[in-house]
Amino acid sequence: MINRNHKVFAFIGMFGSGKTEIALNLAIDMKKTYEKVAIADIDVISPYFRTRDERENLKKLGIVPVLPPERFLNADLPIIPPNVGGYIENPEFKTILDVGGNDDGAVVLGSLNNFIKKVDTAVFFVINPYRPFTDSREKIIGHIRRLSDKARTEVSYLVVNPNIMDETTPENILKGEKLVKEVSEELGIPVAFTAVLEKFSDVDTIYEKFLIKRYMKVNF
Amino acid sequence: MAEKVMAKGTEAIAEAAVRAGCRLYFGYPITPQSELTEYMARRMPEKDINGVFLQAESEVAAVNMIYGAGCTGHRVMTSTSSPGFSLMQEGMSYIAGAELPSVFVNVVRGGPGLGDIQPGQCDYFQATKGGGHGDYRLVVYGPESLQEAVELTFKSFDIADKYRTPVLILADGLLGQMMEPVEFPEFNDPKSFADHSGWAMRGTDMKRKPNLVSSFNIDPNGLEEMNHRYQEKYRKIVENEQMFEEYMTEDADYIIVAYGTMGRIAKSVAKEAREKGIKTGVFRPITLWPFPYEPLAKLADKSKMFFAVEMSAGQMVEDVRLAVNGKKPVEFYGRTGGIVPTPNEILSKFMELI
Repeated sequence: MINRNHKVFAFIGMFGSGKTEIALNLAIDMKKTYEKVAIADIDVISPYFRTRDERENLKKLGIVPVLPPERFLNADLPIIPPNVGGYIENPEFKTILDVGGNDDGAVVLGSLNNFIKKVDTAVFFVINPYRPFTDSREKIIGHIRRLSDKARTEVSYLVVNPNIMDETTPENILKGEKLVKEVSEELGIPVAFTAVLEKFSDVDTIYEKFLIKRYMKVNF
Repeated sequence: MAEKVMAKGTEAIAEAAVRAGCRLYFGYPITPQSELTEYMARRMPEKDINGVFLQAESEVAAVNMIYGAGCTGHRVMTSTSSPGFSLMQEGMSYIAGAELPSVFVNVVRGGPGLGDIQPGQCDYFQATKGGGHGDYRLVVYGPESLQEAVELTFKSFDIADKYRTPVLILADGLLGQMMEPVEFPEFNDPKSFADHSGWAMRGTDMKRKPNLVSSFNIDPNGLEEMNHRYQEKYRKIVENEQMFEEYMTEDADYIIVAYGTMGRIAKSVAKEAREKGIKTGVFRPITLWPFPYEPLAKLADKSKMFFAVEMSAGQMVEDVRLAVNGKKPVEFYGRTGGIVPTPNEILSKFMELI
């Protein structure tokens, strides 16, 4: 499971791999144990479905959302909240970093390297094997190497997020885990957990389950 | 891995285009559709695809690259979002005049002007009533889901080929950005594509007179003849290519009319209204041009009221009024600025009206 002794938890990965959902769920879960939890939205890639969309909900739960200034929240500009460095270093806080997808998203984590290297930071690489470009071992390994370079940091853990939304089956979960297991073995990077919706709490998985709720959804 | 994949709307359309046989993509990034351009940038150079991706210096350049490449009769495509599509209008008119098969995608955001990057449906007039100059039409599809967007992308290339016409996929920003499971059809066999050798510019080998592609004729009679040809084609499209969905309309007293993702929201509203005992259905145009006037008009004989819902200040509602033709009241509710109305919000407006 997630070693919660780390100070900073950064989520990187390919576009649409589920980083925001997992980061939000982790922040909410951590708040049960730790008094001070912050989640920083440093996603400069996605125009919609971002941590900032949940800011009111997070505040109600007592979690600090670290965001660009309110009036720039919807600006089509790559704004990094100026106080994110402070939250990375501040020892009173457990800080979660929701990083944007792909190489361009990971660069932002690289830009925070001076803060990151001072504290115990765990970098999670989130993989949804049902997304295009992360459906094979070779592709995933290529992305991990590249994004790790861009983020100027090693990847500490892999995260399996085997998800085809409402059509996800227990077989999908297992098949996804097996693929990431191959990657984990080849690269020597441990798998932290498999993220599954709460309805799959009884499903047997290779890795420990992290039960999540979906926050980023369309209200149909 | 699996048959179904988790796709983002923009990626689903891009992959569908590749599988439909598009090997020529020209575009310029703009939010909220940049992932489509990015997807093509990755996908086109892949060995088994061997296509061309070219990032143009602007949307004006992109549309003229479509114009040029379209002259070869090969499957060409570009994608953009509202302000970018405005920039393309001059080229669209030339392409329509030159009768070039081509596929356009507009992932619509809030407007007018620079607007914002949130979802909108405020480019309906531009799409369906002709954004450029001259008497021309675009075939316009408004998908409601990613799977439908994939199917309509395939269809767009076929229709473009069949009628030698530009086709537009009008997707609101929400459809472009949301993620859903998608199953992609198999790759098209290029051998099955329409034979364009009679008009397309693919080289003469110095063995025949060159083909001429143009939207230009200085002889008024000649230009009118060309216009007659266009109109005849549009008449055939109106006759044969209308698409729409009726949802619980059979016994409905009230009809909500909505397209794209608003169509899905309208279905949720209709379901909730029925739970309250109000017989409500949804009419969802899939082709926005040709607009399915007659099927909608038929519902006017048995329903009490029509309620158009859009992410705009009221554009498609004008076509609804044309279809209903005064037989029954047509009401409207819309949000602008990139705001997506919630089912509850629409339902409470609906309850006020009935």
